[in-house]
Amino acid sequence: MRNSRTALFLCVVLAAACKKQTASQEQPSGGTAPAGQTVAAPGADTIRVGATLPLTGAEARTGGFYKEGYELAFEEATKNGGVDVGGKKMAVQLTLLDDTSTQATAASLADRLINSDKVNFLLGTYATNLVEAQSVVAEQNQIPYVNGGGAATAIYKRGYKWVFGLLAPVELLAESIMKWIDTQQKAGKLPKPATIALLWENTSHGKDFRKGVTEFADKSKNYKVAVDESFELNGKDFSALLGKVKAANTDLFLADAHLPDYITMQRQYVTAGMCHKIQSYGARGSEKQAAESLTPKNVQYILSAVWWSNQLSSKSPEAKRFVDLFKAKYGGRAPEWYQALGYETVRALFAAITQAGSLDRDAVRQKLAALKIPSLLPGGELTFPAEFGQQSHAPFVVQQNLPDGTSPIVAPPDAATGMGIAPNPGCAK
Amino acid sequence: MKLPLPPWVRPRALIALLATCAALALGPLLHSDVYIHNLLTLTFIGIAAALAWNWLGGYLGQVSFGHAAMFGLGGFVAAKAEISMGMPMVFAWCFGGVIAGLYALVWGHPTLRLRGPYFSIATIGVGEATRLVGTYWDWLTGGSSGTSLPMHPNLKFTLYWYALALAAVAMAASYALRRSSLGLALLAIKSDVDAASDVGVSSTRLQDLVLFLSGAMIGVCGASYGSYFSYIEPGDMFGFDRSISWVLMGVIGGIGTIAGPALGAIIFVLLRQYLIASYPQLYLGLYGILLVLVILFEPLGLTGLSLRVLRRARPDLIVSGSET
Amino acid sequence: MDRFAELVIASVLLAGLYATMAYGLGLIYGVLRIVNLNHGGMIMAGAYAGWYLHSEYGIDPYLSLLPVAAVSFLLGIAMYRGLVHRLPRGAAGGVQSLLLLFGVWLVMRNVAYLLFTGNDQTLRTSYSTRAAVLAGALVSVNRVAVFAVALATLIILHILLTRTYLGKAIRAVAQNPDSCTLVGIRVERIYALTFGLGTALAAIAGLLGATLFPFNPSFGAGELLKSFVVVVLGGLGSVAGTAIAALILAAVEVFAILFIPAYLTAAVGFVLLVLVLVLRPGGLFGQRVLG
Repeated sequence: MRNSRTALFLCVVLAAACKKQTASQEQPSGGTAPAGQTVAAPGADTIRVGATLPLTGAEARTGGFYKEGYELAFEEATKNGGVDVGGKKMAVQLTLLDDTSTQATAASLADRLINSDKVNFLLGTYATNLVEAQSVVAEQNQIPYVNGGGAATAIYKRGYKWVFGLLAPVELLAESIMKWIDTQQKAGKLPKPATIALLWENTSHGKDFRKGVTEFADKSKNYKVAVDESFELNGKDFSALLGKVKAANTDLFLADAHLPDYITMQRQYVTAGMCHKIQSYGARGSEKQAAESLTPKNVQYILSAVWWSNQLSSKSPEAKRFVDLFKAKYGGRAPEWYQALGYETVRALFAAITQAGSLDRDAVRQKLAALKIPSLLPGGELTFPAEFGQQSHAPFVVQQNLPDGTSPIVAPPDAATGMGIAPNPGCAK
Repeated sequence: MKLPLPPWVRPRALIALLATCAALALGPLLHSDVYIHNLLTLTFIGIAAALAWNWLGGYLGQVSFGHAAMFGLGGFVAAKAEISMGMPMVFAWCFGGVIAGLYALVWGHPTLRLRGPYFSIATIGVGEATRLVGTYWDWLTGGSSGTSLPMHPNLKFTLYWYALALAAVAMAASYALRRSSLGLALLAIKSDVDAASDVGVSSTRLQDLVLFLSGAMIGVCGASYGSYFSYIEPGDMFGFDRSISWVLMGVIGGIGTIAGPALGAIIFVLLRQYLIASYPQLYLGLYGILLVLVILFEPLGLTGLSLRVLRRARPDLIVSGSET
Repeated sequence: MDRFAELVIASVLLAGLYATMAYGLGLIYGVLRIVNLNHGGMIMAGAYAGWYLHSEYGIDPYLSLLPVAAVSFLLGIAMYRGLVHRLPRGAAGGVQSLLLLFGVWLVMRNVAYLLFTGNDQTLRTSYSTRAAVLAGALVSVNRVAVFAVALATLIILHILLTRTYLGKAIRAVAQNPDSCTLVGIRVERIYALTFGLGTALAAIAGLLGATLFPFNPSFGAGELLKSFVVVVLGGLGSVAGTAIAALILAAVEVFAILFIPAYLTAAVGFVLLVLVLVLRPGGLFGQRVLG
C-alpha cells in the first residue's frame, strides 16, 4: 500500500515538475539580465546569442572579466544600431547564464539555451573542461559555438565542424617562453645545456604546458629536464616539492599554475630562499594581485606568456581601439587578456554574421571557418585554421616583471615594448 | 488469473510501477520540448544512482560519502571499453558496472567491519584517494584532460528510454531487496550485526552482495552519464560534491525507505535547475539546512513527512508498522 | 644530510599543526562519542576569522588567537545546546549526529561563500616570507611560530585535563557517563563544554593554517581526514599519543615525495586512513574504535 502510494506520489510530483518547468520558461531566463540594451523589443528582428560563464564558483573572478568583454562588444554593436545582416541592421541580445564552473551545469544550460531559449548562436564559457563539455552540445545541435575560453587542443581534435576557438593552445604558450629563453642562451647569457625544473598543475592546461616544454627541449638538445613533477590543483603545501627542486639545483624553473597556486608556490619558493636564472609560471606572472600578495620584490624577473596584453595598444590599432573603449566604460581601468578575448569572441561572431548576410546557422558556420579579419590579437589577424581544428594559433606575447614595476613585452620582436633580463641578477650564482 | 508472483510482491505496487513507466515512456510523444526530455533523462539517472546508494546507506545503514569512486570508475571503464574495444554501448555499461561493483568489494569488504561513523569517514578517504589516482591515471581516464566519447547522431534523444529502464530496474530492485526475505536479513544486520549472525544470517555474504550491487548500479549510472555528455573528466566524475549529492538525496528523500531516494533525486534535480537560474550560490546551504531539519525532526525525510500527512488524512489506508 | 635535516624539521613543524587539529576531533569523540563532521567547517571558520580581522582591522593573526578561540568556544556550546543535544547519545545516534553536523558544515560553507566569495584568500603578514636558519636548514619563521603556538596549546590542554576539576570531570564522563551523574557531575554541562572546547581547538588550528596556506570555503575537508588519521592512529585521550601520531602522519607525507610522484603525495593521507582503520582499528595505543 505504502509503495503504490509513493509511486503515485512520484507521478504527481513529476507531472507538477514538468508543469513548473514549462512555466518557468515563460519568465525571462534567469541569471543575469540580458546584456546590451536592445534597440527594438526582442522578436523576429533580434539576433539572439546565448552563453554561460562561471559567474560564481571557482572561476568566478575570471568569469566576471569575460562578462565585461562580452558586454562591451554587445554595447558597441547596439550603439551602432545593431549588426548588419544583408543590408539590414538587426538588434543583438545576449542571454547570459551562470554555469557555476560545473561541467554538467554548463552542458545542461547550453541545452536549455538552444532548445528552450532558442538562441541563434552560442558563445563559449571559460575553462577547458567546461568548453569541452559544452562544445559537444553545440555540435550535436549543429549551432555555431565561438569561444575564447578553452585552450586545450583536445577540444579541437575531435573533428567538430561547429566549434571555433580564439585561444591558442598552451603548447604554443610554452614554446613562446622557450623561444625567448633560447635567444638568451644563444646570446651566451645562459649555460648550454641548461637544466630545467618543470612543475605543472595536473590539469589539461598544465599537461599541455609540459608537452610544449618537453617537445622543445627534445628538439633543441640544449636543454635537459631534470625535474618533471605534477602537483594538485589548489594544492596547499608545495614545500616538499620545492625541496626536491632545490636539491636538483637547476638553471631554469618553469611551472604552470593557476593564480592561487602561483601565489602559494612563489611564497614558499621565496621563503625557502630559492632563486633560478630564469623563472616562469606559464601564463601567470604579471598579475597585480600577485604583486600585492607577494610584494613586488618577490615577483621580479618572472617570465610569463599570455594571449594578449594591454601594452599591445601601442603597437596595434585594433588593440588601442579596444583599450580606449574599455577604459571609457570602466573609469580608466586597464583591461587584461580575459576581457580582450571575450570582446574579440563576440566580434568574430558578428563579423561572420555580417559576411554571411543571414542568420542561417550553416552559412554563418562557413563564414567562420573562412574568417580572416584584422584583430587585436598578437599578430594582428584572426583566423580559425582548419588544419588546427578551427583553433586560432595567434602568437603569444612574452612578458617579464622588471624591478621598476613594469612588465614589458619582450617577445615577439614586432610587439616588444622592452628588453628582458637574463639571468636573474638577484641569484647568488 | 493468478500471476506467479513471489508472496512479497504487492500487485498494486507492480501495477503502479508499470503504469508510471508506461506514462513516462510515452510522454515524449505528447510534448516536443527537447530540454525537458533531456532533463528527465538526467533525472532518471539520478534516481537510479540515489536508489543504489540507499541500498548501502539506508538498508544496511552504512552511509557512504565516497560513492563517486564507483560512479567514475564505471564511467571511465565503459568509455574505455567503447572506444578502445569497440564494445556496443549497453555491453560497455554493464562491463563498467561490473568493474565498479568489484572495486566496491575490494575496498568495502574489509571496511564494512567498521560500524557507523567510522565506515563513513573511511569512505571519504576512499573517494578522495580514487579521485587523485583517477586524475593521475592517464591511460584509463585521460588524466585531467578527461575522455571524449564518440558522438552518435540520435543517441542523446534515445538515452531517455535507456535511462528510464535503468531507473525502473533500480526501483524494482529496491522493492525486491527490501520486501523479500533478503530485506529482513539486511534489517537484522543493520540493527545488530552480531545478533544477526547469531541467528544464522550470513552477514558477511549479504553485506558483500549489497556492496557489489550498489557499486555496480552506480557504475552503470556513471557509464550512462558518460554516454549522455560524451565527455567525462576525473575531477567532475570522482568529485566529493558528487558523493555528497547522493547522501543528500537519500537522507532528504527518506533514508532506508524504498522510494524515498527517488523522491530526493527528483527534488534535487528540480531545485538545482530552479536555483541555478535565480540563486546559484544558495543551493548547498539550502540542502544543508534541509539535512539538519530532516535529522532533527523527521528521520525518514520527505517520505516520512508525506506518510505523516497521509496517515492523518486517511488513517485507514496506512497500514501500521514501521518502515525501517 | 642537509636535505634529510630539512625534511625532519619540516615534519616536526607540520606535526604540531596536525596535532592541534586532531585534538579537537578526538576530544569530542572521546567524550560524546560523536564524530564532528563540522570539524572541517570550524577549521575553515577559524581561518576566515583570522584573515578577516587581519585584512579589515590589521590585527596580527597571533593576537587574534584568543578572541577567535573564545568566540568559537561559545559557538560550539551553542551548537551543542541547539542541535546536537537533541539527538540520542551513543551508537544509535552515531550516523545521525554525523549527518547533522555534516549539514551544519554545508551551511557554514555556503555562509562563508556568500560573505567572502569562493576566491582563494591568503593571509599575508610582514613576516610571511621571512626565513631563519635552524639546525643547518632554512625554515620559515611563520612555521616555527605556528609550531610554538600548537605546542603551547597542547600543554595547556594537558594541564587542563589532568590538573583541574573540570578536566577530571571531562575524563570521568568519557569513561562512564552514568556513574558521573551519581557522583554529582552535571553530564550535559560537561558535554556542552567539551563540544565548545573541541570547536575552539578546531578554530585555532584553522587560524594557524591560514597563516601558512591559502584557503577558500571548501577548506577543511582534507584537514578533517588528516585529523581523523591522527585520532585513529593515536587513540583518544592522551596528548602524547596524539602528538606521536601527528608526527607519524607528517613524516609520511613529507618523506613520501622521495618515493612517489609529487602529485600522489596528496593521496598518502587518505590511503593511510583507510589502512589504519582496516588493519589496526584499535589504534597504536589500544583504544577501541569499533562499535
